[in-house]
Amino acid sequence: MRAPLDQSGDVKMSVDDLFLGFGRRQVLHGVSAHFPKGQVTALIGPTGCGKTTLLRCLNRLHDSRPGVRIDGRVLLNGEDIYHRSTDVRELRRRVGMLFQRPNPFPQSIRENVTLGARIHGLWARGETESRAEAVLRDVGLWDAVRDRLSGTPFMLSGGQQQLLCLARALAVEPEVLLLDEPTSSLDPHSTARIEELIDSLKGRMTVVFVTHNLQQAERRADQVVFMLDGEAVEAAPARQFFAGPTDARSQAYLEGRPA
Amino acid sequence: MARRARGLSDRIFWGLCALALALVILPALAIIGSLLAQAWPALGGQLFTSTTAAHGLQNAILGSLLIVLGVLLVAGPIGILGGIYLAEFAHPRRGSLIRLGYETLAGIPSIVVGFVAYLVLDIEFHWGFSLLAGILALSAIALPYVVKTTEVALLQVPTTLRDGAVALGLSRLTALRKAVLPPALPGIASGLVVAMAICVGETAPLLYTVGFSDANPTLSLFRHPVGYLTYVVYNNTILPSNLDHQIAAAAGVVLIVLLLILIGIGRLVSRWAARYSASLPT
Ligand SMILES: Nc1ncnc2c1ncn2[C@@H]1O[C@H](COP(=O)(O)OP(=O)(O)O)[C@@H](O)[C@H]1O
Ligand SMILES: [Mg+2]
Repeated sequence: MRAPLDQSGDVKMSVDDLFLGFGRRQVLHGVSAHFPKGQVTALIGPTGCGKTTLLRCLNRLHDSRPGVRIDGRVLLNGEDIYHRSTDVRELRRRVGMLFQRPNPFPQSIRENVTLGARIHGLWARGETESRAEAVLRDVGLWDAVRDRLSGTPFMLSGGQQQLLCLARALAVEPEVLLLDEPTSSLDPHSTARIEELIDSLKGRMTVVFVTHNLQQAERRADQVVFMLDGEAVEAAPARQFFAGPTDARSQAYLEGRPA
Repeated sequence: MARRARGLSDRIFWGLCALALALVILPALAIIGSLLAQAWPALGGQLFTSTTAAHGLQNAILGSLLIVLGVLLVAGPIGILGGIYLAEFAHPRRGSLIRLGYETLAGIPSIVVGFVAYLVLDIEFHWGFSLLAGILALSAIALPYVVKTTEVALLQVPTTLRDGAVALGLSRLTALRKAVLPPALPGIASGLVVAMAICVGETAPLLYTVGFSDANPTLSLFRHPVGYLTYVVYNNTILPSNLDHQIAAAAGVVLIVLLLILIGIGRLVSRWAARYSASLPT
């Protein structure tokens, strides 16, 4: 069964009848969904339903894993990102990602923020310092790290490390940002900080975030996509979804009942 | 009652641990102690200023250093690149074939490696007793260690680090250089140190391939035998004079000091390599 598609507004990314298998194990069974431009989509569903797997399809992070088979289409601005002519590294610059656990590079804090922009040739030589400062200010980390830009990121708290990873992702000026349970390992303060940042990106960037926290989805998302067993069961505007989902399985999930 | 029993078994456990520790440390101390006692009369500046022709060790020390340096230059890059290839780039099936290859190589006794090197390099290629033949023979022995430790060190780097680098649009090479290699460097460095330590202590392959010389080594790779420390230990022990025995023990002491220096350098390199890593050895 296809999830009903709301075709109003600009679609930034969409997934069309996507199948994915790890070896013989089929994980995604024909997922279809779309992600409206400049809006925040929350991807929810029980553990193991394929949220991470789907998210990783959106920037081709499965590419280097042997034994992964992908069928179907993923469109960015209407173009198939799995087409042969796609520049995969440029795609990943345009579709950034923040992971469940902070994973700063084992380099200096400064290098974490500047490396991507340097490799992609985004910043002019003379402006590296000021651009890095601007990005760190954007995520609210500047005051904490301004005196130790040359130091290791691992002396920072978990929340600060995650903010650094966010700064690293934002530094390459992505059009889409994917976040896989970005706050699941963080304290409430850092969680609030990340949520505020997601809010502040609205309009500028298309955001897709996975969360197990339904309140978080309700607070921050414009749209909700509910997944179950490798399928997108329902996609709806957040307010409408939480007021009363149309699919009985979504209903069951919201009420904490087995589907 | 139960608490008393727990206290007793605790004490027995810690007692056994202490005993095991003693069994590890005491023999090492005993060896070093008796070696020092043996070598004592011969320990002095002349070890470094005279050659084995005049009851010194200069040529043997220089020869051992030269051989180990050669192994570092040959087996180091090849082994590290091989380990990187296996951990990061090789197709699983080809990887397991290569693994079979180096595990077999690691299992060949060093005296056999030396014998084959002698037949091929010294005889067939007419290199004679030569520095290069010894370096290549020892490199064949060191290589599996370097490959293995490099591969293991890289496989221990969490996948999330690779994902983070790849998701940023970095090339695989940049991802390797900036994200994956740094946390693996301490492991790679200690693998190199172990490999070099093994080579410093080898004797049999060198007997076959580089022979021995009382003269200081030259940089010529072919047709010049070279002196080295383990030969002195081996050979002087069967000589009749007391002084020769003392020199043998002194060579043993110098070997141990060399090992300690190698380990120290390894630690420094590891510390430097891990300066940004999560588990900083402080
Ligand atoms: N690399 C992999 N190889 C095999 N199975 C995998 C792999 N990654 C995920 N899976 C399986 O795919 C399913 C979906 O996983 P995932 O996308 O991580 O779920 P979610 O993020 O929704 O919790 C799970 O059953 C998981 O066991
Ligand atoms: Mg997940």
